[in-house]
Amino acid sequence: MALRLLEGPSPPRIVGLDLSVPKALEGRLRFHRVDLTGPTADSVLAELLEKERCDALLHAAFFTDPHPDREYAHELEVIGSLNVMNASAAAGVSKLVVASTAQVYGPHPDNPNFLSERHALRAHPDAHAIRDRAEMEQLLRTFATRHPSISVVSLRPCWVMGPSYTSSVTRHFESARVTTLLGYDPLMQFLHEEDLLDAVGLALTREVAGPFNLAGDGLLPLSTLIQLAGKRTRPLPHPLLYRLGYLATVARTGDPPAAFYDYLRFGWVVDTERAKQELGFRPGYTTREAWMSCVVERRLKSYR
Amino acid sequence: MSEIEAASGNGGPTPEQLAELRSSLAELRGELEARFGPQRERTGASPFRVLDELGNSLRSGLDKLGVSGLYSGLRRLVSAYRMDNRSLEVDEFGSDPLYLEKSRVLLDFLFDRWWRVKVSGAEHLPSGGRVLLVANCSGILPYDALMIAHAVERFHPSQLRPRFLAADWIATLPFAQPLLTRLGGVRACPENAERLLRTGHWVVTFPEGQKGAVKPFRQRYQLQRFGRGGFVSLALRLDATVVPVAVVGAEEVHPVLLDPTLPRRLLGVPLPVTPTFPVAGPLGLIPLPSQWRIRFGEPIRWDAAAREKADDALYVNRTRDQIRNTIQLLLDEEVHRRTGVFRS
Repeated sequence: MALRLLEGPSPPRIVGLDLSVPKALEGRLRFHRVDLTGPTADSVLAELLEKERCDALLHAAFFTDPHPDREYAHELEVIGSLNVMNASAAAGVSKLVVASTAQVYGPHPDNPNFLSERHALRAHPDAHAIRDRAEMEQLLRTFATRHPSISVVSLRPCWVMGPSYTSSVTRHFESARVTTLLGYDPLMQFLHEEDLLDAVGLALTREVAGPFNLAGDGLLPLSTLIQLAGKRTRPLPHPLLYRLGYLATVARTGDPPAAFYDYLRFGWVVDTERAKQELGFRPGYTTREAWMSCVVERRLKSYR
Repeated sequence: MSEIEAASGNGGPTPEQLAELRSSLAELRGELEARFGPQRERTGASPFRVLDELGNSLRSGLDKLGVSGLYSGLRRLVSAYRMDNRSLEVDEFGSDPLYLEKSRVLLDFLFDRWWRVKVSGAEHLPSGGRVLLVANCSGILPYDALMIAHAVERFHPSQLRPRFLAADWIATLPFAQPLLTRLGGVRACPENAERLLRTGHWVVTFPEGQKGAVKPFRQRYQLQRFGRGGFVSLALRLDATVVPVAVVGAEEVHPVLLDPTLPRRLLGVPLPVTPTFPVAGPLGLIPLPSQWRIRFGEPIRWDAAAREKADDALYVNRTRDQIRNTIQLLLDEEVHRRTGVFRS
């Protein structure tokens, strides 16, 4: 994101806050080392923000994938976010953009076909990462009502696909035989990585506040997507998979298999109308294009 | 030329041609690998590898027994469920035009031959605008919804196919869910109905819901409670014309013998017991060939005064009961008019 802003026509002054300097950005922006899980993280961060006179803060210190260390994940995602909120209130930041996820709505059999921002956040009870994120969203809502002078934006993208983006989701779809659930074929939507960055840029610069769902246009059934990619499915009955895969998945992600596979079972398609109307979000890639860009890139990689 | 014709006449390439194809493919792959190096296999921890190998060895074992020919024959038979019959674009509720086209053969057969559906009152269907078709719910599987959609498509000049709302438990049932979605079914909830109506779809709804689907056989054609009137306030809010629909015959398709509360308590789903299901297994799912009548009633339109009462619970409930009575009257008339359950 910072790279993209730097390459723009009028690069704004960017300050990076992280545990370590990203290689691509070395020497191109001012950098401070901050550990959000530290005991005095909020006051340290507030001091930094005040010293640098920041206008807008992008808070993206979340794990992409569920982290097996549930305590540390909670510490970073919920308490860390709380620190960020408190610090930005103390430092008088005018804009706070938080990278959330559309997964906070949860996959449920009784979801409507399109989830709007008004829909209740019913995170999957087994997915600790998503539960933490939903808790963070609740805190964020309270924070926004308590500090009306700060415009708080939370972005809720659906699953992100693209040539360079990797997560546990893209890894799941990488294999030649994709495990699916027997008898279920939900409608899926994906967001291209470029579109996500576009949306973050819009959220930082436009005068908006509140939650925004982000997704590419168009929907496709999971089976059609897999067929498009020239892959095969490995349909397994979910009672079998949920029992047999229990230990392996808990060891890897800290969650039982249902926390991931339920997303391939029930629909959790989001309505992006609000992002289009208020944020001016125009996805450049449809669901199908985002998916194909991810698949094609990985297929080429196997020959390199 | 003649060779190809002969081959295609037999329904496929000859074994020699297949062998030739395979060998040329192997050559091609060898050349590719020589040029670019072997395609790297993903060797990450895969607990499924054993499963795949098991599947492969099973398949090759069955090949030797000649079962695969039978299998592919069966696949061709149920070709409506195959992958290559799907279009690459679906609408936002997942309806698949290509799949629908392929399934039309089966739906036409059910409509014309199996149930010999008689449609009356098609002239009552409005020519445009938002339309909500309200019908009596009958049977566990939404055959009635498919047939109403078929009737509207056939008898309405614009040939549009209404979408139907399916009860929760069938809309999330394995296997049924993808099938219904492709055929135009949508899970019944106010948000979905509103979005469908707003985007110009006609919607078929069954306000009785599960109560109607699993009522015992002796209560056939007696309407149950009509939900909480959600469909009325939705129609008032969106100014949608309500068309009452009576379906007779669908309630004899799977006569429910036993009250399904016990299976619901034990299994979580209201498994209905019919003369053939679950005794006859999957064969019991074949619907009985009763004779059907679909009757469209006079459309109900709303004036400005009514539209303002969308939040008036009493008015909504009274209207709901009026619509229910209208459908009950249509049902009674149609039941009296038919000569027999199975005879046409």
